[in-house]
Amino acid sequence: MNAAAGLAATWDLRQGERELLLSCLGCIALGFVLVLGSEHAAGRQLTASAVLPLLIYGLSLIGLHLALVLLRFRGDQVLTAVVACLAGFGLLAQYRMGAFAGTLGVDNPELYLIPAGFAAMLLTAAAGANGRYRWLAKGLWLWAGVSLVLLVVLLVTGTRFRGAVYALGFTTPTEVLKITVILGLAAYLEQHARALARWHPRFPLLPPLRALWPLLVFWMLLLGLLALQRDLGMIVILSVTLLVVLVRATGRVGYLGYGLLAAAGVGALVLTFFAHGQRRVEAWLDPFQDPTGDGWQILQGLSGMYAGGLWGEGFGNGSPEYTPIARSDFIYAVIGEELGFLGCVLVALFFLILVQRGIMIAGQARTDFGRLLAAGLTTVLAVQTLLNLGGVTKAIPLTGITLPFISHGGASLLTTFTAVGLLLAISDGPPGAARRPARTVKRPPAAGATPPPAPAPAPRPVERPARPRRRPAAAKTP
Amino acid sequence: MTLSTPLPLFGALVDSAAWPALRIILHLAFFAAAVIILWRIWTRLAGAKARPGQTLQLFGALPLAVVAAAFLGVLLYQASWHLTGLFRPEFVAFMQSHDRREFNPAHRIQRGRILDRHGQVLAESQERDGRVYRVYPYGPAFAHTVGYSDPRFGAIGAEAAANAQLNGATPEALASWGELGRQLLTKDKRPRGQDLKLTLDAELQLLALQRLGSRHGAVVLLRPADGALLVLANNPAFDPNRLSPGLFSGPAAGTPLLNRATQGLYPPGSVFKVVLAAAAIESGFSGTLPCPAGGYTTSSRYPPIRDHDYYTAAKAGRTWGGHGNLNLTTALVESSNVFFAQLGVRLGHDSFVGAGERFQFDRQVRLYPGTDRYGNLSTGRLPRFARNDLYGLAQASIGQGRVLATPGHLATIAAAVANQGLAMRPRLLAQEAPAPLGRYMAEPTAARLAEMLRKVVTTGTGRGIDGPQLAIAGKTGTAQNPRGAAHSWFIGFAPAAAPTLAVAVLVEHGGYGSSAAAPIARDLLLKAMELENAR
Repeated sequence: MNAAAGLAATWDLRQGERELLLSCLGCIALGFVLVLGSEHAAGRQLTASAVLPLLIYGLSLIGLHLALVLLRFRGDQVLTAVVACLAGFGLLAQYRMGAFAGTLGVDNPELYLIPAGFAAMLLTAAAGANGRYRWLAKGLWLWAGVSLVLLVVLLVTGTRFRGAVYALGFTTPTEVLKITVILGLAAYLEQHARALARWHPRFPLLPPLRALWPLLVFWMLLLGLLALQRDLGMIVILSVTLLVVLVRATGRVGYLGYGLLAAAGVGALVLTFFAHGQRRVEAWLDPFQDPTGDGWQILQGLSGMYAGGLWGEGFGNGSPEYTPIARSDFIYAVIGEELGFLGCVLVALFFLILVQRGIMIAGQARTDFGRLLAAGLTTVLAVQTLLNLGGVTKAIPLTGITLPFISHGGASLLTTFTAVGLLLAISDGPPGAARRPARTVKRPPAAGATPPPAPAPAPRPVERPARPRRRPAAAKTP
Repeated sequence: MTLSTPLPLFGALVDSAAWPALRIILHLAFFAAAVIILWRIWTRLAGAKARPGQTLQLFGALPLAVVAAAFLGVLLYQASWHLTGLFRPEFVAFMQSHDRREFNPAHRIQRGRILDRHGQVLAESQERDGRVYRVYPYGPAFAHTVGYSDPRFGAIGAEAAANAQLNGATPEALASWGELGRQLLTKDKRPRGQDLKLTLDAELQLLALQRLGSRHGAVVLLRPADGALLVLANNPAFDPNRLSPGLFSGPAAGTPLLNRATQGLYPPGSVFKVVLAAAAIESGFSGTLPCPAGGYTTSSRYPPIRDHDYYTAAKAGRTWGGHGNLNLTTALVESSNVFFAQLGVRLGHDSFVGAGERFQFDRQVRLYPGTDRYGNLSTGRLPRFARNDLYGLAQASIGQGRVLATPGHLATIAAAVANQGLAMRPRLLAQEAPAPLGRYMAEPTAARLAEMLRKVVTTGTGRGIDGPQLAIAGKTGTAQNPRGAAHSWFIGFAPAAAPTLAVAVLVEHGGYGSSAAAPIARDLLLKAMELENAR
């Protein structure tokens, strides 16, 4: 009886999510009819399997919601709706680009990408809910090790294509780094945040190297391996995330300064020594220098957007096939062409809400690990989105990364869904607390947990003898 | 399955006349649904904010503001392409040449007309059935110079060089930009570009082509004082009204795509003697050289270089006694190969290379603004020989061997002689200010050379075109080539005393310069003078 009451309470609690998911389904269905109509108008035969993607998408949404209710999940409701909308846009865009064309019908693996994503998200959220995600912090060295080993294995066994490295079947397992590295980072910073916040008292520009060096060494290895794979996008995403999380954990803006310095140095290095990077920057600064070569892709994307204008041609009525690699990296240009500038603004707003939810979840998490993990994952999503949008619109150089939820690519899709699953798990709140809405939960630990003003830590006396030695030197200088 | 019934119904609906309207309704409904979702989320979040403990703290508000600002920045920048892409002339030009999306508004711009110097229309946009087509009233006559602008094949020539202006998008006229932007946003207006005036004279161009007839060749007529090109005619040419993929694939008979006047590299033959004569005068050469009938060679291993009088006589079964001793003037008047071969060897390699540099061989001269290499004028190619290769030098000195030049460049050389040695950059756009290209020779040299060239027409190889109406000065050329009969050349200027026109005519495989090219040049100069005097 108690269980049934809890279920009913959750059903009521998640009414908002239900409404949002249903409007989302309606919106995507409208777009789907539009795409189907233009497919038919273009002379393609419609069979019953043409409706399968929408059907499966709708069933996934319903299944997701029911499962969350059954699990009595208390976590964020807007986040699931936003992800459902973005994935729906992705479905329409991929359908429009011919992902479900052909005679495969129910055997088409493309059909099950989005449901698989939802499943991954749900499983992650369920597994990590009720504060269980904190166990992930114990795997600090596992995450670091897995990340590096994955990169090495990929370098040894992978195949190069268009400069980047791919594993078997053109998958990009490095996408997983967006989770494992952030997990490791959050775990490390949770343990060492205090030490990392204690910058040198006399030389305020000197960070605490003793606490920093394991992180630095790991990062050097990571960036080195990524540089070997020429995965510039991943380097930028992970490095920005490192800085954001470092500052978040320690409250020291100085790390940002060092990060910017390092970025400037590495950037200059790449530009002077790698012709590859130079060409990209040149194609970015002046695509008209070589409009039919280096500038072709970006200019075709922009041409499509320009042709789309304010309202767009309507889903299925543009000609995005003229833009190279439109299905993955340039899917935003497809949206710009078919839904116009307005469609782009809508997509950007959904992403902005996604980021807002992430930041909110990070702010409300009750543990340092949860805070840092949520902040890290949110930063990854935000930076990835901005890098893609900026690259396609020529605001920044192209980095060749996907747009979360919308671009084609199984590994990228699953990783992003899993990351959102982690965010959902963190948003579910602390363990033990009764299955009540989060707002009624007072913070009993807040008062008790504040550490009593500890007696002077033991190391201090050890440090002291060093000081007198420095003092005369300091006195001499003036 | 139950799905099998609604699907044909849906198909019928799409095929019906209602679908276009329905499509727009669906499109708007899709937007509306997305906006409703955003609105619901917004009200939900705004409501949640009021709750205690859920306000955004500094750690939340600042990053969110940064990310929102970044999104806003990207969207604003995107809008500068997406919405106001028309403000970027290069972008519009790219789309017109390379975007195959037929619904792209850039293809519907009604481009400005291209006019000749008197306002004759050489290219204009016409609207038929809601689509804009580019029409070239003279067909192939101006194909190479005016070029074409086509959604499938891109743009070349003046159409490409002045694309921004023809699209109406000169950055100075901001007001018209705004109007064009507004019209393009609504997508169904036909914005109108600005006209472009060329220096060409349609009447003279047509005359040149008519006189060339079916013979392949090129005619260039320009004003020496300011470099304005009045005629730039090529035969064969293509019809820009009827472009087809076949035109661009593989070698076509007669290479109609080749702009012979600016890109066609031909052995210049005797007209090159003008360059050598200038070099000789500048080096202080005077006196005579012996020019026997037996010719001249640098080594007994090589066949002697002889004068054409020798061959004419031999053909007629007569014997010819040779020119005897010739000075520079008589040698140029008689176009003596023997003299100039010796002269070249006597002046030496350095002098030859120096002359080539002064006359700007091995260069690209731009005819239009912009960097389109197809719109450039190639000057020609001078060989580099080893210092001991005297025979090569002797051959090159009479414009044979490996010396190559374009008709356009030889016209600027004639114009430089007419303009006291200063070559003006040939130009096609009337709005471009005249600019010097380079000093080919000193003023006294030019004056002496001009006198000699006048004598060529009054008493020498060009006397066939001398007449009372117009004092023409010039040089004929008969260039041997491995592909058949000799190319026929004439370069010159008129009136000899105070030149206002310079000309170069090439007739491929036309035989003697005096018989094929010179009469065309004369007719063209006469007509041009007549037109000039009439206005």
